Amino acid sequence: MKGNDQDEVKAGNAGGNVGRRSFLKGALAVGAVATGGFALNMAVPGLAEAAKRPLPKKWDETIDVVVIGSGFAGWSAAAQAAIGGAKAVVIEKMPTYGGNSIINGGVYASYDDKFHYRQKMGLGDDSPELHMQDTLKGGDFFSIPALAKVLAEGATDGLNWMIDDGGAVIRPTVVRAGGHSAYRTHAAGIGKVYVDALKRIAEKNGAQIRLNTAVTWIWRADADPKSPVLGVEVKSGRKISNIKVGKGLILASGGFSRDVKMRGDHYPFLSGENWNCTNHPGATGEMIRFAQSVGADTLQMNYIQLYPYADPETGILDTPALIPFNGPGNGIVYVTKQGKRFISELARRDHVSFAQIGLGPQGKPTYTIFGDDMVEKMGFTKGEIEAGLKKGRLVVGNTIAEVAQKAGLPQDALVETIDKHNKYLAEGKDPEFNKPITKAMLPMTKGPFYAVAQWPAIHHTMGGLRINEHAQVIDIFGEVIPKLYAAGEVTGGVHGTNRLGSNAIPDCVVFGRVAGRNAAKG
Amino acid sequence: MFVMKRVVVIAIAAAVLFCLPLLTAGGGTALAAPSPKGSCKGCHADFASVLPKGHPAVKGTGLAACSSCHAPDLAAKKPENAYSVRMHRAHIPPKGKLECTACHSWVPGKSFGLIGRKGSFGKPDKEQMELLKEIFASWASSGYTDSLHAEAGIACSQCHGKGLPTFDDTVENAGCLKCHGPMEELAKKTEPKEFKDRNPHKSHLGDIACTVCHKGHMESKVYCLDCHKQFGMKIQGAAKK
Repeated sequence: MKGNDQDEVKAGNAGGNVGRRSFLKGALAVGAVATGGFALNMAVPGLAEAAKRPLPKKWDETIDVVVIGSGFAGWSAAAQAAIGGAKAVVIEKMPTYGGNSIINGGVYASYDDKFHYRQKMGLGDDSPELHMQDTLKGGDFFSIPALAKVLAEGATDGLNWMIDDGGAVIRPTVVRAGGHSAYRTHAAGIGKVYVDALKRIAEKNGAQIRLNTAVTWIWRADADPKSPVLGVEVKSGRKISNIKVGKGLILASGGFSRDVKMRGDHYPFLSGENWNCTNHPGATGEMIRFAQSVGADTLQMNYIQLYPYADPETGILDTPALIPFNGPGNGIVYVTKQGKRFISELARRDHVSFAQIGLGPQGKPTYTIFGDDMVEKMGFTKGEIEAGLKKGRLVVGNTIAEVAQKAGLPQDALVETIDKHNKYLAEGKDPEFNKPITKAMLPMTKGPFYAVAQWPAIHHTMGGLRINEHAQVIDIFGEVIPKLYAAGEVTGGVHGTNRLGSNAIPDCVVFGRVAGRNAAKG
Repeated sequence: MFVMKRVVVIAIAAAVLFCLPLLTAGGGTALAAPSPKGSCKGCHADFASVLPKGHPAVKGTGLAACSSCHAPDLAAKKPENAYSVRMHRAHIPPKGKLECTACHSWVPGKSFGLIGRKGSFGKPDKEQMELLKEIFASWASSGYTDSLHAEAGIACSQCHGKGLPTFDDTVENAGCLKCHGPMEELAKKTEPKEFKDRNPHKSHLGDIACTVCHKGHMESKVYCLDCHKQFGMKIQGAAKK
């Protein structure tokens, strides 16, 4: 498993596209001669972004490694670049750090951890190989296997790094989430735990952050495969300046779930403003467009994930909204408004979302039913449950009938559904939805019991920039763009059609580290 | 040579532009151009009447008369007897119509001081001067956080520190907390009775800048509401009065 030289950067070799590339280069070179040095720009003519932009005559400053975005991937990259001896600066357009990562649910898929919780709790076997296979299968084999492999093999080391060097505290449990065939999802309550750990590692190694600073352009002279990215134009307040990139530019700017036009362009079903979204407002796709404008390839842009269990009213992924995701391996049950199950609770996110959408608008919301004895095993605290009750996100009852009554569900139907599910657990077989039953799934026989309402909201964009296993960005001709790296949700091809829940953080951390390490080498 | 000439032309043009409206605004109003620069007599014929109650009598009717006792606060240390910053609000739009250079000496890119006094606040060039004028007008009347401070007699340096703020200047939390802190007490003040974790001064985003919500020279906005639309939080300096 080890020694796949994921840290070694290979120079882009000339492929079979020389003719087309030379033509493109030639066309741009003519422009350059006539006008005195314009920057490469593939934006659609007529757009503001397509304006002829002369390359900066002078740079305001030079930074070894410039990282765009301050989430899991950005801080991982900055930390690793700084550890590699490079001056690393994180550029963040928002006024606060952390992007989507800081409001993420904190679930992290890894076959192991330094405490070996899975083994200690007797929750079965797992391996990076199995993690990789689940990832490929869960994305309908649209993932690039080499990328899924990097994720699965680097996940455990990434997790332990955040614990050991960054002081991240994970909860003493491992859960089995939808689409995973093993108990491998670690919980920390919220993504901020990891963001802060990564930030600590980065900052103690000398990395810095600049908030309120937006990238407005990526500079590259031409599309020659030897032509590196030169720098970025950034805007801070009213000030526009140009930063020359010494060793590498790492795009870790996240997905585009909040870019209404972009998501609708790629996935018309998700057009318009009416969809709820779990993301922070900064999750827009301009960095992808800027990278495309200097030749970067993208893939699988139309695969956009709905989170099946968001707060039906606001679309927010709060702590109660995490319970339906964490809980399937512990015996929670999903029901419709009629109190009936509608899918295997261990199904993938896309399947659960579309099962709900299939119920029609009048089917909104659906519910997760769970018992008090599951709470800590699912990675939650009693305090979090109490807070959820106070805010009205959860209802509680000593019997299933009482929960049904408080949630507005038909009592008889819910009691019957839970009784039946208890029987399936005892028999080790789910004849209705064929859910794989495990011993860790607890029957709901003794209260108190709880219900939480759920409904899909736009959550994660699987597509994005094409990278190789070294986190180098690949151009439209299949060549590496020198000095340009990408990691995390801004990239595509790691998750295929559907990202397995709890694979996002390891994706970001592992590829962020790869990008940072490679960029620092220059 | 060319550059020099251009500077002179700009200076003349600026002088004409600055003076014209003031000269023409004379009829019937108390306002007229102070003439020469640094003189108050043009508007305040009865100079003694603008002095605060109990102020000792002064000789002269211009800045020089004030400056013999009052110093410009160049070091941002609020010395005793410094010029009151409130002077600005009485003289610049919307209350007054004076240009900065009515009282201030300015050599673009080189110095900016008070007429008749040595010393300089900074070296604003033309571009920065435009920004300062714009921001000063906001400070004087916007209804934003800046003008709330103006009403309390707080000027640039008390938030921004010594020197004239530049384009990318901001105010660090420590600057705000000097007067408004400590943070724990602020958080206590804004802690909701029902849901204690819905506290803008103790948010799940961790250690964030005051300026995320409290904008100095723009509309202040509760950042929480970007996602938590139902929270119904309010903020001062939210809109123009």
